[in-house]
Amino acid sequence: MNLSVLIPLCLAYIGVMSLLAYYGYKKTTSEADYLVGGRNINPIVMALSYGATFISTSAMVGFGGVASIYGLSLLWLAFLNIVLGIFVAFAVFGKKIRRLSLKLDATTFPSLLGKHYNSKFITVFSGVVIFIFMPAYTSIVLIGGGRFLQETLSMNFNAALLILAVIIALYVIGGGIKAVMYTDAFAAVIMLIGMAIFLFTSYQAVGGIVDGHQALASLKSMVPDSLASQGHQGWTSMPELGSPMWWTLVSTIIMGVGIGVLAQPQLAMRCMTVNNDRALYRSVLVGGIFIFFMTGAAYMIGPLSNVYFMETAGQLSISVAGGNPDLVIPKFINTLMPGWFIYVFTLTLLSATISTVSSLIHVQASAFGEDILKTLGIRSVLGNVISPARLGVIVGVILSVILAYLLPGGVIAQATAFWFGICAAGFLPALVGAFYWKKASRAGAVYSIITGFGVSMFGFLFLHEKQSVAFGLSEALFGKGYLLAYPWTHVDPLFYALPLSTTVFIGLSLFTSNRQIEEEGVQTERVNAR
Amino acid sequence: MLGIEDVSVAFVWVATVLSALGCVIYGAVMWNRGGGERE
Repeated sequence: MNLSVLIPLCLAYIGVMSLLAYYGYKKTTSEADYLVGGRNINPIVMALSYGATFISTSAMVGFGGVASIYGLSLLWLAFLNIVLGIFVAFAVFGKKIRRLSLKLDATTFPSLLGKHYNSKFITVFSGVVIFIFMPAYTSIVLIGGGRFLQETLSMNFNAALLILAVIIALYVIGGGIKAVMYTDAFAAVIMLIGMAIFLFTSYQAVGGIVDGHQALASLKSMVPDSLASQGHQGWTSMPELGSPMWWTLVSTIIMGVGIGVLAQPQLAMRCMTVNNDRALYRSVLVGGIFIFFMTGAAYMIGPLSNVYFMETAGQLSISVAGGNPDLVIPKFINTLMPGWFIYVFTLTLLSATISTVSSLIHVQASAFGEDILKTLGIRSVLGNVISPARLGVIVGVILSVILAYLLPGGVIAQATAFWFGICAAGFLPALVGAFYWKKASRAGAVYSIITGFGVSMFGFLFLHEKQSVAFGLSEALFGKGYLLAYPWTHVDPLFYALPLSTTVFIGLSLFTSNRQIEEEGVQTERVNAR
Repeated sequence: MLGIEDVSVAFVWVATVLSALGCVIYGAVMWNRGGGERE
């Protein structure tokens, strides 16, 4: 790659992003502007921002590489991403979130739940969970971006990490959610162009849709023994039912990430930024196209790379990538795509990193400033020099950068599944209850959230092999990487934490709701009367 | 179907494409519905 082309291109890109961030800064005049964009963001900008936040480099490169191993069965996740992550998230849940947040004057995800259930504990506890555990997710996205800049621009990793963190911190501090969403939308357009070209070229390279799939199916005899013993049955088949690969595919990749998206604070709060239901319906159109060309394309391209490499190099993708799934997509691009596309894809990955990290930092900051400090009665810090939310940006960035150095290498997919899993188990029952169940009680919500986070954290740290071994706490405390034998080592904690937290929510609500109504008068009126 | 041997995988390939198309159609049909005023 020619650095004399790439560096000016990156500088021009950063220049456009800076202008958009400055525009966001100029448009931010109130706290509501900073937190929820004045509830008046254009639906197309909202949908693109949601998509760009949803999709990080790990979704395109990391999961694309994983798809080169698992095959087209990973498309179940893309299908759920579109149906749940876009249609249900906007047209069903999004409508409820928008109306409820407007009614309760809630500007953050924790304050939405806390105000609905009339519980400061829920607001502060949810804020603390976000502020402590979200940096783990933020830092791995940041690591992905830093490593990528290190590879493409031959930069020092430390310098790349710090430059990314400082640029993002500056525009989140200045322009709040408006700067984040305007820059996200620009990033999303670049991501969309890059992945659309990549998908069409990939299918063209393997002879089209049907011929490409047939060539992929014919590679069945090439499945390595190490994968076949785990349940792999070829790249156009599901893994063997009940095998380790099947459990990982279904419980972690498909269910964990597929369902987890509905309870992601940084995604759910996007629905608070538009001013009517029509905007959410319009967002479905843009969001559906965007997510298809991100996850759908990545999970089609990954498996197809095997056909291409088998024809050109006589090897499977994972062998060409030296056993590292994160290198499959970069290797495929370098061998298949024309030189100019490498520059486009460089900006695509840079966009994916910046858009996801900036949104996560904004949510961490609002959790720190709004949900924790303000709920505890602390309305100014450092003598009003800086607002609590803006101080939260600085603390959040520092935490994420520190974690980027502390977390072990190669945990991008594990940390993503961890964050999505604990959010689904902790938040989903209380969130759905707030929308649809009049008997949902404060006690039910409080103990459901505690159960969901507690059980899923325990599962990730001590039972689920991929995370428990990666985090190393089980090894440090008990001298072994995980506490129970198969299948617990491969069953995602979401599989038991979510049913448990749902049971606690329903059971306690049935037990306490009548008494609570008698004691406190009428509960918050439900907003879904229409 | 479509060169994919496993029916469930062929189904999900088609379903993924159709769900994206469904989002486009839904968004287009609902483009001017659902209340334009803040509510």
